Amino acid sequence: MPYILQTYHLTKAIGEKELVSDVNLHVKKGEIYGFLGPNGAGKTTVMKMITNLWKPTDGKVEIFGETLTPQSYEVLKRMGSIIEFPTFYDHMTGYENLKLHTEYMGYYHHGSIENALDMLDLTGAAGKPVKNYSLGMKERLGIARAILCKPELLILDEPTNGLDPAGMKQIRELLKTLCGEYGITILISSHILSEIESIADTIGVINRGRMRKEISMEEIEQMSLAYIELSAQDSRKAAYVLCEKLGITNFKIMEDGQIRIYDSHVSTQELSKELALNDVPVTAFGKKAETLEDYFLKMTTEVESDVKTD
Amino acid sequence: MLKLIKLEWQKNNIGKYVRNAVILAGVLCLFVFAHAYLGIANDPDTGVPDAAPGNETISAPIELFTSISFLVFTGVMLSSFIVSAYKNKTMNLMFSYPIRRQRILISQMLAVWIFNFTALVLTKLLLYGCIMMGSRFMVSSFPIDFDMTGLEFYVQLIVKSVVIVTMGFIALFIGMAMKSSKATIVSSFLLIFLTQANVGDFTMADNVVFPVVLTMISLLSVYKAEIRDLM
Repeated sequence: MPYILQTYHLTKAIGEKELVSDVNLHVKKGEIYGFLGPNGAGKTTVMKMITNLWKPTDGKVEIFGETLTPQSYEVLKRMGSIIEFPTFYDHMTGYENLKLHTEYMGYYHHGSIENALDMLDLTGAAGKPVKNYSLGMKERLGIARAILCKPELLILDEPTNGLDPAGMKQIRELLKTLCGEYGITILISSHILSEIESIADTIGVINRGRMRKEISMEEIEQMSLAYIELSAQDSRKAAYVLCEKLGITNFKIMEDGQIRIYDSHVSTQELSKELALNDVPVTAFGKKAETLEDYFLKMTTEVESDVKTD
Repeated sequence: MLKLIKLEWQKNNIGKYVRNAVILAGVLCLFVFAHAYLGIANDPDTGVPDAAPGNETISAPIELFTSISFLVFTGVMLSSFIVSAYKNKTMNLMFSYPIRRQRILISQMLAVWIFNFTALVLTKLLLYGCIMMGSRFMVSSFPIDFDMTGLEFYVQLIVKSVVIVTMGFIALFIGMAMKSSKATIVSSFLLIFLTQANVGDFTMADNVVFPVVLTMISLLSVYKAEIRDLM
């Protein structure tokens, strides 16, 4: 599988403190990669190293099959990015800012600026100085600038910050179009899963500077996140019945004595019948589903408790 | 490179600086003219110019005031072109372009240098010109000690202007190290005292080595831009 962007044991330390350690990231050509992690997890640090603003302390970044060095300038032509918050020359108009961008990128295509402004609904505001823009408009202008030169790889660091729900939806639709119609690979970071789960093909979870998991949405969908929850007066006896009589091993006894059975093949009728036969009174029964949000929350909190026990 | 410099001017609203430089030149011209012909620097009792030793001729105040003004002007411009760009993160944007960072920094420095050098030369020519025109009708309090018809006059004028404007890079170096626009401007003030003023008989105004060495150190800092992280 060709990766358009790959990092190998990427590490960045400032002074004694390691901001990110040993991050291995794999972005396939033509996909939308959601880079997920809580605030301060190291998302921006990784993205700064990918865009060559920061140099790694250890490890390396490979883009378009080339390893990044301090002298890698040509690859920047093929990338568009927003790192942290987009900055502009405030006294200049939106149009002038984009024009300036094309000059520096050496990209001259008739109508490209108008097209980018149109895609982000900024045509009406193009003639206004950027200092009069709202937060959301600046964010949209930043995205317009990032896609202006038709990059092959788009790097967006929390691009929907400061946007209202309608604006977020619009950006999501736009990113899907860019990826689907123009074949642009997108690496987008966020601390909110729901924001990217509907568009991402692969999700990478980073926490406390370490890559926790890299998983495709397909795999997530196949993973059974649904479970049967039952409450029994004697949970130990119930567990014995599940294990010995029904041959179920994929279950978990929770702290409050409830049992969660993740095996999707068992029917509730079968369960209740067998438990009743073995004289285990059941007080509550129910089918539940864990959301993806719970799954990731679990993943990040597990890590935190690991850290605490360390 | 020329294109990069032009873009720098465009981005930083060069029209504003042109206007200010013209105003500054006008004010300096009036001031020096008043020195020579209106007697503002004369001792009220004796009517003789009250000048420090070695500064009795008219070219001394012209050189001093233009140098002071444009060194500070250079400091201000460098701080808004470069130091502020680091502070308000537009430098992050600049460094995301497929252009060598050294080229970007040099183009920014040259954008300021060319502007100030031109402005300084033009201002000096204006001042000398005004004084010479005035001398046809009035008598200057300070003796006129220059000859605008000789080539040597222009060579001196250009060399001195180059030195003054280039010294602005020392202020830039300090401003960058301290990550502060204010430090850049304050340093440019201090540089004047260090290089133009005199303490008793001691002055560094004639010492060329000192500013040259400082400037070289400052320019070396540009070479580190390629590998340094942008905070």
